[in-house]
Amino acid sequence: MATTVLPRPKAYDDSFFKPISIWLTTTDHKLIGIMYMVTGVLSFVVGGIFALVMRLQLSQPNLHIVDAETYNQIVSAHGVTMIFFFVTIFLTGIANYMVPIMIGARDMAFPRVNLLGFWLVPVSIILYYSGFFTGGALDAGWTGYAPLTEKLYQGKSLGVDFWALSIIVWAISGIMASTNFLTTILGLRAPGMRFSRLPLFVWAQVSTSILLLVVGAPLALAMILLEFDRQLGTQFFTTAGRPVLYQHLFWFFGHPEVYIMILPGFGMISEIIPVFARKPLFGYMSMVAALFGIVFLSMTVWAHHMFTVGMNTYVEGFFMLMTMLIAVPTGIKFFNWIATAWWGSVEFTVPMKFAFGFLATFLIGGLTGIYLASVPVDTQLHQSYYVVAHLHYVLFGGSVFTIMAGIYYWFPKITGRLLGRTLGEWNFWTLFVGFNGTFLIMHTLGLEGMPRRIATYANPAWAATNLIITVSSFLIAFSVLLLLINLVQSWRNGEIAGNDPWQGNTLEWATTSPPPPYNFERIPPVRSFMPLRDLRESGELVES
Amino acid sequence: MAARVRALLTFAGLAATAVVLSSCDVGGLHPIFPNPVSPNGQDIYNTYLLISIPAIVIFLGVEIALLWVVLRYRRSKQPAGYVPPQVHGNTTLEVVWTVIPLIIVLAIAAGSFVELQRDFQPISNEQMTVVVSGYQFGWRYDYGNGVIVNQPGTLVGDVTPFVVPTHTLVKLQFRSSDVIHSWWVPAISGKTDAVPGYDNFSWLKIDQVGKWRGECAELCGAGHSTMQIIVQAMDQSDFNNWMDQQKAAAAKASPSPSP
Repeated sequence: MATTVLPRPKAYDDSFFKPISIWLTTTDHKLIGIMYMVTGVLSFVVGGIFALVMRLQLSQPNLHIVDAETYNQIVSAHGVTMIFFFVTIFLTGIANYMVPIMIGARDMAFPRVNLLGFWLVPVSIILYYSGFFTGGALDAGWTGYAPLTEKLYQGKSLGVDFWALSIIVWAISGIMASTNFLTTILGLRAPGMRFSRLPLFVWAQVSTSILLLVVGAPLALAMILLEFDRQLGTQFFTTAGRPVLYQHLFWFFGHPEVYIMILPGFGMISEIIPVFARKPLFGYMSMVAALFGIVFLSMTVWAHHMFTVGMNTYVEGFFMLMTMLIAVPTGIKFFNWIATAWWGSVEFTVPMKFAFGFLATFLIGGLTGIYLASVPVDTQLHQSYYVVAHLHYVLFGGSVFTIMAGIYYWFPKITGRLLGRTLGEWNFWTLFVGFNGTFLIMHTLGLEGMPRRIATYANPAWAATNLIITVSSFLIAFSVLLLLINLVQSWRNGEIAGNDPWQGNTLEWATTSPPPPYNFERIPPVRSFMPLRDLRESGELVES
Repeated sequence: MAARVRALLTFAGLAATAVVLSSCDVGGLHPIFPNPVSPNGQDIYNTYLLISIPAIVIFLGVEIALLWVVLRYRRSKQPAGYVPPQVHGNTTLEVVWTVIPLIIVLAIAAGSFVELQRDFQPISNEQMTVVVSGYQFGWRYDYGNGVIVNQPGTLVGDVTPFVVPTHTLVKLQFRSSDVIHSWWVPAISGKTDAVPGYDNFSWLKIDQVGKWRGECAELCGAGHSTMQIIVQAMDQSDFNNWMDQQKAAAAKASPSPSP
């Protein structure tokens, strides 16, 4: 039985991605994945700098570090950068890298579509930032509500046009990536990799890709109609038209986008907790079912962003009910994660710390989501700092913490070297404290009546809270700096990781670190949803 | 050990913060909205409390479970060579933690829906109607009798108050002549958007004399943060005097053409 099916060299070899020229034309899903991820991290830094400017401006009442028009551009740029260019792009990258390896494939189904899809991202980014050099970028928030974005109110600058074009290109790129993921997962699975054995991260990518396929086109449509209004004089969303129609189109994309940014994170957590608890994932089938429950429900809740525009109360009741129902599949996932670690032999490595940090903080975002779903309560909380706090508990406590967990978990596979543990511990604790210090007390500002997106405020009662938030936000910045130092230092001189530093369950750990361009010399056999663990336990895995 | 101490300290810190937030009013930190002065605001306040009961229970339950895993099941606490039970799931448990949250959210949704029907339906028994128009950057209040109060936005000093009589059910009709604005005075009730193209509505009924502040809650341009709101409630007799002054001032400003 103990035959050598997996001869794996222990030697660390990254020579194949050394030449610069290879990066420009490569169709290798791993190199494209790395480029997506690097783009994402750079956007994270840029978006973070925007956030720090906002926090400085709001640290005390009546500050005018930047004027109101610039502030509105910065608010918008922070949202656009973080949502479109950081979280979504980074997650596409990590999936681009991991999904083909995890299902035992040699590349994505359409490598050249992958290449084109990636290179549309810099095009989209350059288009958006061009707005800053043409009289002012988008200044109506990342949601860009009409009619504020219409020519009558934004005639001077081309910022809105550049933003709309950028988002259209971004949506096309996302649709390409989603099609590619779905085809890859449907068509290129290794022998034995049945649907009932797909790793949860791959299932998460299936659900994310379906979501982006469904909602990417309506987003592009909203932008195209807005451009018609601005450049061709149509009246879709103008004062004479239907401004609220824009909100429907935008949020039909915008709410599922929240899940596009968190489902891959759910997938990563479902990979990381079993590995470090040394237990199989609890409730595999209900985890998969919960993913698709979320996918379905997330497409029926968009108007909960619009409870103050004056809809029929029965329509509002429907959107309220559907929104609250999302708590059920999310709850299933939470309880299954905890049950996975229960009775385990849990090793709190840095990725596991971030996974638990995610659980502890995302819970708060989920619970405040129930308050916001309740129509009467939402009329108080909507567009206030309570919402800012909520969305950061979901997107920072959720997406960013899972991304950090993913970085610390998969960096050794991608580079062949471990991320420094001491810096990693500092990274986690400064981020955890800085994050909660920034966003926990923001809830109270919203309850007291501080609206979001105000360039400044006169109320002295908000001063102390805002100052604490600003100080904490710089702790987050310090933490991100630690991450960057760790990334650069470890990529150069980090400890050699070996092929399987964590004793993983899934196939990416069955090949070398970093994997060769063809991923596997021989595709390993798959007998359960933890194929590598099977091989390790049956003794078929022999290091050469 | 050091990691455990740090974990304990962090959770203790978070718990202390939560206790502070929920028990006192120091430094302008409120765990809930300002005390409502209008019945619809009071109903929203009560709905908020209703949701808080299961929310706090779930929050504490899950965080304690996480803390238990962190403290009890960490590898250093397990005996050497401990192999965890290879459990793949438990149907009964999974059904339980699907059905219980379902019941909780259905109850919350039902409670919220009752409140939604009570306070957010169009009213017809109003004793007074005011048309509130948002514009870049300020509010205009049309009492329908020729008196219009303009509340231009500013961050320097107080804006002109919007005056209403006490013990009177006032219907507010919201309009906008340019972009979308949102009228929000947290002590009175939730916010209502002023959207160009159609009328939106809300109402208030204040039973005490006083002044309450709010501001525009929908990003509407460079002057967004200046769109402050002050609502002032006066006794009926004071209100009548005020209204007479306004009428006289309006007549002086634009004398009506004599027949």
